Amino acid sequence: MSEDTRKRLKGEGGRMKDGKSTFIPNPSSFILPHRVVQGLALALFLGLAVYSWRGLRAPAPASTLLHLDPLAGLAAMLAARRWLVAFIPALVLVIGGLFLGRFWCGWLCPLGALLDWLSPHPLAGRKPDPSSRWRGVKYSLLFLTLFAALWGNLTLLFLDPLTIFLRSVGALLLPALNWLITQAEVGLYRVTLLRGALETIDTALRGALLSYKQPYYGGIALFALVLGGVLAFGLVARRAWCRYLCPLGGLFALISKASWLKRRVTEDCVSCGACARKCPMGTIDDRKGYASDSGECTLCLDCASVCPKDAIRFGPDWRVDRGWAYDPSRRQVLGALGASLAGVALLKLGPRAHHPYPYRLRPPGAKEETLLSACIRCGACLTICPTHGLQPSLAQSGLEGLGTPILVPRLGHCEYSCTACGQACPTGAIPRLTQPEKLLHPIGKAYVDPKICIPWSGRGDCIVCEEMCPLPEKAIFLREAPFTDNHGETHTFLAPVVLHERCIGCGLCESKCPVNGEAAIRVMVDPMS
Amino acid sequence: MCCPRGRQAARRQVTLAFGRMSCAFDSMTRSGVKFRLLQSDYSDRVKGYCMKRVTRRLFLRGVIVLGTGAALAACAPAPTLEPGPPASPTGVAGVSGARPASPSPQPVATSTPSVPSATPLTKAQTPSAVPAGAAYLAVARGTSPAEITMRAIAGIGGMERFVKKGYDVIVKPNICNANHGPEYASTTNPEVVATLVRLALGAGAKRVRVMDYPFSGSAQAAYARSGIEEAVKAAGGEMEVMAPMKFVETAIPAGLDLKSWRFYQPILEADLVINVPIAKDHGLARLTLGGKNLMGTIENRPAIHRNLGQRIADITSLVRPQLTVVDAVRILVANGPTGGNLDDVRETNTVIASHDIVAADAYATTLFGLRPEDISYIVASAKMGLGTMDLSSIRIEELNV
Repeated sequence: MSEDTRKRLKGEGGRMKDGKSTFIPNPSSFILPHRVVQGLALALFLGLAVYSWRGLRAPAPASTLLHLDPLAGLAAMLAARRWLVAFIPALVLVIGGLFLGRFWCGWLCPLGALLDWLSPHPLAGRKPDPSSRWRGVKYSLLFLTLFAALWGNLTLLFLDPLTIFLRSVGALLLPALNWLITQAEVGLYRVTLLRGALETIDTALRGALLSYKQPYYGGIALFALVLGGVLAFGLVARRAWCRYLCPLGGLFALISKASWLKRRVTEDCVSCGACARKCPMGTIDDRKGYASDSGECTLCLDCASVCPKDAIRFGPDWRVDRGWAYDPSRRQVLGALGASLAGVALLKLGPRAHHPYPYRLRPPGAKEETLLSACIRCGACLTICPTHGLQPSLAQSGLEGLGTPILVPRLGHCEYSCTACGQACPTGAIPRLTQPEKLLHPIGKAYVDPKICIPWSGRGDCIVCEEMCPLPEKAIFLREAPFTDNHGETHTFLAPVVLHERCIGCGLCESKCPVNGEAAIRVMVDPMS
Repeated sequence: MCCPRGRQAARRQVTLAFGRMSCAFDSMTRSGVKFRLLQSDYSDRVKGYCMKRVTRRLFLRGVIVLGTGAALAACAPAPTLEPGPPASPTGVAGVSGARPASPSPQPVATSTPSVPSATPLTKAQTPSAVPAGAAYLAVARGTSPAEITMRAIAGIGGMERFVKKGYDVIVKPNICNANHGPEYASTTNPEVVATLVRLALGAGAKRVRVMDYPFSGSAQAAYARSGIEEAVKAAGGEMEVMAPMKFVETAIPAGLDLKSWRFYQPILEADLVINVPIAKDHGLARLTLGGKNLMGTIENRPAIHRNLGQRIADITSLVRPQLTVVDAVRILVANGPTGGNLDDVRETNTVIASHDIVAADAYATTLFGLRPEDISYIVASAKMGLGTMDLSSIRIEELNV
């Protein structure tokens, strides 16, 4: 039995370069578990995202993922100025980080796993990495996010990695997959021979992975740009997003500076530099004896996997890891404070803050102010909405409301018996209402446009809106509207009139209105409220 | 492929395909049993192939070949439904040719003109003759929905009149929304549907599917909410969620206003379609009955609401359900079609059955104190010769259970 094997089996540590000897398990036995855990975590998070996307009325476990996010939790609590007990799992991660450093980034983060496996990095190892001072950007982004949250603004959570992941899967990748598969099915259905097979495939996929109704999301190009940007950033360096930009990574990095478990290099090191070349975070510094910043190390164990001398150990060390050039400075904090004030003022001075967009319909029960200061832009509501009528706000509520949910009835109404968005919301920005409660919170009020409406403009009978109105006592009634044509003949059509005291603004009328383009009946934010 | 180059290319493809297979064999046997599968003159080529794996050129070539094959397959003419001889039911009255227009070839007086005889027959359009002793239309009244359904079907000659052994049957109830349970009378009574499923299976159907295309709420939610899913599954039928791919643009040869629309293909292709509407109030059409219920077989419904009566008749002319069973166990007299208010529900404990959708609808109007002439799609359908709305001209059997 070789010396190496004996050491490994006994779990005996080597001697550190600083002369201290500790009992440390050999990290190489964790290399396989690391990949397995990372794969399982990605599968789990993907599964949750798919599950909540299917358009079925299920409890919304996708938001469980968000409850693990300490940045989203902290920011939402700062902005909403109340405790959110739902984020207790995030506290576990924070405490875990105090012991295990950035294990979240290396072992669990689904976006990190995507970056490891999908992000191209042809330049890695061929060109020197960008200056490590750029790593400070993530701290700036973190401080900016938190200060802005203190002033009640959560726009920057658009860049939180978990919201990016959830949004990208639910509002970008799955709709795209849905569309592609549906197109293929429609094309192949013409071939009679294939119908049996297609039917089997379709039955298996619809309801499980695919939706019966094709969603169309506004801002899908923006989502693609963000996800594509994060992945393409790998061209600069491996995991460049995690190193330089990720605000959640910044939060974990700060915690990990003081973490218990830190990477150490033993005396066996022969300075071959293999670990420094392999490290996806690029934090192993050959000028510091191949030491690494515990705020950057994700415990991915790639270094241990290439070390020819088994010279890498992870062991307890409570000292705070300071002295890196990019460590956050007081100036950075003050700069973020100033920038957050300026930024929030800028957002508040947009015209939409003063003159709201009349079709800016919020999900049932959500009030504009509380929504803006509690919505973490995760898109859980968008992806669970069974009609896919909940859409990310782009310009409708200004830059401040970017990514917050609005109902666009023309794309999908608010289903009478559904309360899924409130159940899915991880922060309570959309309140959890029962179905009878929901009916007491009108989203808006429907207005008929007589210029376009078929009977009102004298073009014939229609009444689809009246037919569709789901209320037990319909909010739309029909009255006879006489219309005299140019021959002097009078035609009488049944024309819709909305009873506003009944209308709940669900928009089913708007969604089914048979005229082309914008509907002849549209739900507006109640102008009388 | 007629030119030598094409033949050569084809031979090359075959060679490569064999190479790929033997390559796989090679790697399978390399470490185990020692046997050489391939010693022929192109083994060198295969070796190169193994080493290179799939080159881009090979891959693209494969894609082109597959794509061409798929394109050829897709361009092949879709099988047209042959207007074969209509399956003549066990009737005394023979079926006069392939004429689906007149719902009954019996000398029952219908003053309906026939539609142009160029109409191709789909299987679902096979006419049903009224056998001797059976009524043209049967109405059963009683407190048990299952019982009155069975009696009404028995009154028009039993399910065996419509179902042959091995038939693929589709039952089309009204499950238009997921908002309210069956007691609100916006969706068809689950017991009526389940009884029809049982009867069809009992008459020898190999498969009975039940489906609708709700306008509000997902189909799964509506199926569950209506109670129909549970009842149908217990009866041995299956619920089918209507898949987007199966809506295909289909010509309506007899259509006067609609000439073509996207129809759900399985409904057009089934051996038997049983139309099971619930009788209820509707703002524009005034009543939702059998004809209106067929709107669940098409896509993009809001767009057909102009000239609705004629358009429903046009749809009926293509779908032509051979059996219509109007569920009037509970009827909704106001705030239809979704309802939601028990005050608008009347218990009428009635089921109407006929092979003639127009006659069944015409009779159902009387439950609301209306006349068949009041409902535009009944009038339009009768004008097109899809059935008769003249209730005095047909034999109606009324049964009190």
